[in-house]
Amino acid sequence: MAEQGGTIPLIAARGITRRFGAFTALERVDFAVRPGEIHALLGENGAGKSTLMNLLSGLLRPSEGEILLNGDPVRFRSPADAERQGIGMVHQHFLLVPPLSVSENLLLGTAPGMGGLLSYPIRRVLDEARSLADRLGWRIPWNAPVGSLPVGTQQRIEILKALRGVTRVLIFDEPTAVLTPTETPELFDTLRRLAGEGRGIVFISHKLDEVLALSETITVLRRGRVVARTRAAETDARSLAEAMVGPDREASSLIQDGAVSASRAGQATVPAGGAALFVENLAVAGQARPLLNGLSFAVSPGEIFGIAGVDGNGQGELADCLAGLIRPSSGTLRIGNDQPAASPGAFRRAGVAVIPADRQTRGLALPLSLTENLALGVYDSPVYRRGPLLLWPALRRRTEDLIRQYDIRATGAGALARSLSGGNQQKVVIARALAENPRVVVAVNPTRGLDVGAIAYVHAALRGAQASGAAIVLISTELEEVLSLATHRVAVLYEGAFSGIVSPDSPRDEIGLLMGGKTREVPGAAAR
Amino acid sequence: MKQRLLRDLPLLLLTFSLGAAALALIIRLVGASPVAVSKALWDGAFGSRYSLSETLVQTAPLLLTGLGVAVAFRCGLFNIGAEGQFLVGAMAATGVGILKNVPAVIHLPLLLLAGAAAGALWSGIAGLLKVYRGVQEVLSTLLLNFVALQMLSWMVRGPLQEAQKGFPQSDLIAVPARFVLLAPGTRLHAGVLLALFCAALIWFFLRWTAGGFALRAVGSGEGAAEAAGIPVRRTVLATFLLSGALSGLAGAIQISGVTYLLSDGYSPGYGYTAIAVALLANLSPLAVVPSALFFGALTAGSNVVQQRIVGIPSVVVQVLQAVVLLAFLAYAWARERRQRREEGGVA
Repeated sequence: MAEQGGTIPLIAARGITRRFGAFTALERVDFAVRPGEIHALLGENGAGKSTLMNLLSGLLRPSEGEILLNGDPVRFRSPADAERQGIGMVHQHFLLVPPLSVSENLLLGTAPGMGGLLSYPIRRVLDEARSLADRLGWRIPWNAPVGSLPVGTQQRIEILKALRGVTRVLIFDEPTAVLTPTETPELFDTLRRLAGEGRGIVFISHKLDEVLALSETITVLRRGRVVARTRAAETDARSLAEAMVGPDREASSLIQDGAVSASRAGQATVPAGGAALFVENLAVAGQARPLLNGLSFAVSPGEIFGIAGVDGNGQGELADCLAGLIRPSSGTLRIGNDQPAASPGAFRRAGVAVIPADRQTRGLALPLSLTENLALGVYDSPVYRRGPLLLWPALRRRTEDLIRQYDIRATGAGALARSLSGGNQQKVVIARALAENPRVVVAVNPTRGLDVGAIAYVHAALRGAQASGAAIVLISTELEEVLSLATHRVAVLYEGAFSGIVSPDSPRDEIGLLMGGKTREVPGAAAR
Repeated sequence: MKQRLLRDLPLLLLTFSLGAAALALIIRLVGASPVAVSKALWDGAFGSRYSLSETLVQTAPLLLTGLGVAVAFRCGLFNIGAEGQFLVGAMAATGVGILKNVPAVIHLPLLLLAGAAAGALWSGIAGLLKVYRGVQEVLSTLLLNFVALQMLSWMVRGPLQEAQKGFPQSDLIAVPARFVLLAPGTRLHAGVLLALFCAALIWFFLRWTAGGFALRAVGSGEGAAEAAGIPVRRTVLATFLLSGALSGLAGAIQISGVTYLLSDGYSPGYGYTAIAVALLANLSPLAVVPSALFFGALTAGSNVVQQRIVGIPSVVVQVLQAVVLLAFLAYAWARERRQRREEGGVA
């Protein structure tokens, strides 16, 4: 990782550490972009990519270490300050106002001149944008409302917004995530051209193909540290994948539960017996491209089916389909032999329990008591209902039982969900999901934001449900979690489809390749 | 719970004394004596059997519209159209009340039903707009108030105007359609009891029934309610209907219990005061009773203030109500802040 001689980097991070409370997001990270260079930043969710980019663009300040601009130490006071000093940022989620025209959106990011609000340098800004667009060969409908334009064009407007006369470094956060396959090569042309003009480009991605095709230098982050830095010409997808997800032994140390390892005898085959959950050709249409594209799988009772993948590859849509919250555009969803209507109530009555990704908005009604929150799972059950009345005394007793059974730390059944810690809130969600012995459990990122003890608890609860015969779909962006919990198979979601279904004992670099969109190409790997 | 109330008492007293001091200053500024004003206020609200009955008469419409507002707010719906719903309720009730040849036994129930239905219909418009068109109910319910006001103005000069066509008002409603009076020499009518009964009914509904639970769940966490299979749209729509029905019923009770006829400028702003009533009660249907009584007393008392104290501008009464509400909001804010600080200390 020696500094490459010659030119002074446009921007460089030197020994940067950034902590959030007790959590260290980045540790002693070095990073530099030189004029004309396209530098890719690769890593899993939570590896520290966003933190590094926020430090470089002035949104965060480092806990330790320094940032150098053209070789001189600098402290950005704000993103606007960084922008004035030549650092531009193109966000994954566009910061555009849809009803306003292209020109108006370009002016939005502009500071007024000396005369205050009356002196926006309208002509200068627009002329600059026009000449830039001409140079790049773009045809932009300047007066059309931005909301009416294709996503690729909207991204070009974001680029025009970020690109000022002074801009020397442009940071792109997952720029291809929203593009159609035909728009991606066009973006790459643009990036090469911008680099050719002497700018430095930071390209954040998790797609191995793209990173290899486009960039000159590649930095891989894992758990806040730089684990690899290499020239694209000197590496391949497999070693990048391994660097990204870590060597095999890291995972195996996490799998301590003997029962789980033993139950993996079936390997990459479906366990015998009828499936509790049956999904065929599930598809959800999206704006630019399908969000889910022909997913098929079946999960048997007593199986934990793991679904890995980098966030934003269709996890949310798949979870919503399995919860009955959205109706798939096409495909079949069966619970045993039932085919419930696309409503959360019908799915719950068919035996599906969901541990949603966002416990504070989807999982719990924070201002309500534990009894009321737990009643959300059974309010329509005849056991707790007489005509229009809910049997609150019975519901309260049930809550007290569940508080004991699931070890929920609260002052009592009447405690408000808001007053609980995150781990105990998740226990409430899990208690509600598992209390009625569901046939199918859909768990989405069930340990996100929890501490170590709570994580162990959640994992034990899921294994307990599996042992008592539930079919469990575990959708998680934490690869470690998926690999340690999945009993027979791990599927990898990539752009709305499975790039592969493998055994949880597969080599991790292979799974890394699948997460990066490389469908299996190594012969024989499937047989393992 | 009781402990907390006791602990919050000093805070409550402090905010309200500050409010009272501000009021005294304002009354001084307009050249009246704060002592004389407070005495008149007290006499008008509680000083005699008659003034007590007047307080109760003023309480009834505030109680029902306050319940209507509270129910909507509990579901997370900011229905601020109680005024309009009250007015259309009064119009529909008048339309039924002046009918001839209605069997006497069913005339009053029919009148009340018409008022509630009209109120429900009126807020149902806002409900449909919200559910199917995403129109903010704050906007639609407020604008519907103005539509209702214009409609009233037209009604009392058109379809509902008295037979002699003299004044912008309706004929008196038929005698069987009126509430019985409860105490001779006063205006106290049986509709007050009906309003109290409604408060108990709404409390029971919210606390014990599955429908009430759905309403509260949607209001406390729409995402969680939806994920649990509660039909959010249907609940929202039903809440709008219930909320509007209560305010419409308030209008009907006012027609059949107090005025017996409809006139231009029918409401002195009950539907707006209702928002204050609901907020002061912290949206609890049982607490709406004392809260409405408080504002009812304020209204009855300030009527006497205006009769007795010469030269006091009528806006002072409105200022009085505003200061009371502000004092309460300041109290609620301070209490919340303290609570949050304590919770933060524990975590």
